[in-house]
Amino acid sequence: MSKIVKGKYTADAVAGFTHRTAMEEAARCLLCHDAPCSQGCPAGTDPGKFIRSIRFRNVKGAAETIRENNVLGGSCARVCPYDNLCEEACSRCGIDRPIEIGKLQRYAIEQEKLFKMKTLQAPKTKKPGKVACVGAGPASLACAAELAKAGYRVTIFEREAKAGGVLTYGITPARLPQAVVDHDIAQVRGLGVKFVYNKEVKAADLEDFDAVFIGAGLWKPSLSNHGFKGAHLKGVYTAIDFLKEARTKKKDFDPGKRVIVIGGGDVAVDSAVTAKLLGAEDVRILYRRTIEEAPANINEFQYALSLGIGITTGLYPVAAEGTKTRLKAVKAKGFYDKAASAEFSADTLVFATGQQPEDMSKIAPVKLDPKKGLIKVSKGKAGDKFFAGGDIVNGGKTVVEAVAEGKEAAAAMIDYLEKKGVK
Amino acid sequence: MAKKDLSIKYLGVDCLNPFFLSSSPVGGNYDMVAKCYETGWGGCFFKTVGIFVADECSPRFDQTNKEGLPWVGFKNMEQISDKPTEVNFEYIYRLVRDYPEHITVASIMGSSVSEWKQLAKMCDEAGVKLIEGNFSCPQMTSHDMGSDVGTNNELVESYSRAVAETTDIPFIAKMTPNCKNMEEHAMAAIRGGAAAVSAINTIKSITNVDFENLTGMPVVDGKSSISGYSGAAVKPIALRFCTQVNQCEELQKMVKGGKYDFGYGHEMSGIGGIETWRDCAEFLAVGCRNIQVTTAIMQYGYRIVEDMISGMQYFMDERGYNSLDEFIGCALPKLIPAEELNREYKVLPKFDDKKCIGCGRCYVSCYDAAHQAIDWNEKKRRPELNDNCVGCHLCLNVCPVQECITPGEIKWKVRDKDGNAVREAKNPAKIKFKKNAKKDKSLSLKEHYE
Repeated sequence: MSKIVKGKYTADAVAGFTHRTAMEEAARCLLCHDAPCSQGCPAGTDPGKFIRSIRFRNVKGAAETIRENNVLGGSCARVCPYDNLCEEACSRCGIDRPIEIGKLQRYAIEQEKLFKMKTLQAPKTKKPGKVACVGAGPASLACAAELAKAGYRVTIFEREAKAGGVLTYGITPARLPQAVVDHDIAQVRGLGVKFVYNKEVKAADLEDFDAVFIGAGLWKPSLSNHGFKGAHLKGVYTAIDFLKEARTKKKDFDPGKRVIVIGGGDVAVDSAVTAKLLGAEDVRILYRRTIEEAPANINEFQYALSLGIGITTGLYPVAAEGTKTRLKAVKAKGFYDKAASAEFSADTLVFATGQQPEDMSKIAPVKLDPKKGLIKVSKGKAGDKFFAGGDIVNGGKTVVEAVAEGKEAAAAMIDYLEKKGVK
Repeated sequence: MAKKDLSIKYLGVDCLNPFFLSSSPVGGNYDMVAKCYETGWGGCFFKTVGIFVADECSPRFDQTNKEGLPWVGFKNMEQISDKPTEVNFEYIYRLVRDYPEHITVASIMGSSVSEWKQLAKMCDEAGVKLIEGNFSCPQMTSHDMGSDVGTNNELVESYSRAVAETTDIPFIAKMTPNCKNMEEHAMAAIRGGAAAVSAINTIKSITNVDFENLTGMPVVDGKSSISGYSGAAVKPIALRFCTQVNQCEELQKMVKGGKYDFGYGHEMSGIGGIETWRDCAEFLAVGCRNIQVTTAIMQYGYRIVEDMISGMQYFMDERGYNSLDEFIGCALPKLIPAEELNREYKVLPKFDDKKCIGCGRCYVSCYDAAHQAIDWNEKKRRPELNDNCVGCHLCLNVCPVQECITPGEIKWKVRDKDGNAVREAKNPAKIKFKKNAKKDKSLSLKEHYE
């Protein structure tokens, strides 16, 4: 019989390092001459340098190295797919196993908070240029921080009541505690960036700004297009609504006893984990393809499995059945195996089958990819005073890639504003 | 494996094995010592007894660590026993009576000739087979005792004489490393009538500075003091002192033919940073016939002796030794002055590209700290040795991969008329040396190192 891990919705899934264990882990680092880990980060984080700082008992210096490069260093430490990035590049793999770089980054940022460090500073004299960022997700936050560091006056417009985008509304808090997200956002705010919440941006709102970054993300659910029936039933959710409602209501949210989550990405895993941690008895991820094809990180699948969540591959849902007030069952068919079919009892069905962009051409004269509706950019430039990055450009990738794109766009914006000679 | 016999005669006394507790908190009362004997220790140097009864401070320990590895070194501020003299001798008497096969050694410390005599007499009455004189505790609150005495040849000699005149029990003088020349003090002890010396006691130290109280550590009500350092970090220093004392010809001559010459020359007891059977074997190799341990017991408990015994037996089996005597002192002839080393000889490092993981540590250290003899192939992420190599082996020492960099080709210097090394050759005249070097390698203890 397998031992199942019991977790709490708002409790850390993994314990962090203490001073002692962090030092032990840093001591395992080979301190490479040309640290390959430092070349493995999309956002350009330099683990070779910050781990060396930890090893030589300069944890504040370590936090500075992380924070100066990545304003979302705390969140990235939790959600980055390290095993595909810096940790995969780690030389120590040649001996036994890689250094736990993500966990060391988490430790350094925890120390930063403990010491109440104020690593990032904006210049006292502001530049005249006014910049707006649409959306308060990872790409916008990273872009805003770079611009504020360069002395520009930045305003972030956010439709929701809180900043963070997917960090706040899309990821289960066991994996990414809200306090970690808030600490990262506090760094952005500390640079003098202005946040405007509950604000649906219109084209007119952006007229007064010298440059605009669009980091609106993907928030329109794309439901199964296989002629699914019964999507209107109570108990059928999109992952965005499900996760958001869970994060808002927390313990008071009832996910139902039997939960089926459709999808094979990180959002599907997060939805399943959320349901399980909030008390659902039987949670199953239903994915039409194979594990090998699933976009989610295998570590996340393993975490879900350790909580007792089942993963069923090869099936896709065709219909939901129930009464007006309640979902009762979900019917599924084989995706590759045409002979396969199944029927599951379910109280809740969550579609985590991807998200789509909203029409950004309504607020800015940007070029859109005709098929997917994503914003087309060249090194962050989307034409005239408009720039974009993050999921709205790349179609939904990692947080660290959104940070990288936000930084790249910020550099292009600074270049644009300087050339334009904004006064 | 046939269990090898670890018994040994030390100063004429039959010991089950050479593994003893050193005089310290690990052997401070009857129950502790009884437990250590049950666990397998051959004997115990009981915590030093004096007429002076110590008044201890709190806290009294600190440790040094490196990269998260604790207890690299250990500092203690304890003095000699804080129990009344009579209580200690009662413990010792009972241990001698109840554990006749185990060797309970009385460690004593006086502050005057009469005190030393008085203590020696009590040892005689308790029936101990060996006495150790503590001339070396570096944190005594009285300057008439401890390492201040141990560096004063006149006092060492006269106190050793005080004991020797009182009893025939062999007397071992415990030396302090806080000295300029240990052989001098050791000879003073032998001159006074001591049978042998033991070394090293702890090294005067300040392990860490506390930045809250702006003093050393441990912090005793806001202040701290210099006191003794021990543990793994001091082993190299201890091995050096043991080697020097054992190699001292003048001292060996003094012992030879004397009252306490049992046919083995000077019978040193080695102390300092011993944790494993291998550490023990090293002290035996430099001529020690008895081994004393404390710090490792403070960290891990008496049970460490189990692996000392088993590991030593496996070692002896592997090397074909049937008794400890067969290898005691085996390294002494090959430990020679620096001026006598063959400086024509040079071993180049050999790099195993398949084992190499490309960390570049050898490159960094060679460039920043040696002779820029390694080029870094950025494409392959591999080191490449160039002609600057002097064979220092810094690369081999920093490499984190087991047996990735190993000793390789041997080169011999070719000198011009003025004695300047002009080029290198595979000198055929030295082939004999090379063969020996190879043989040594096959016999190396490397596998036990890892």
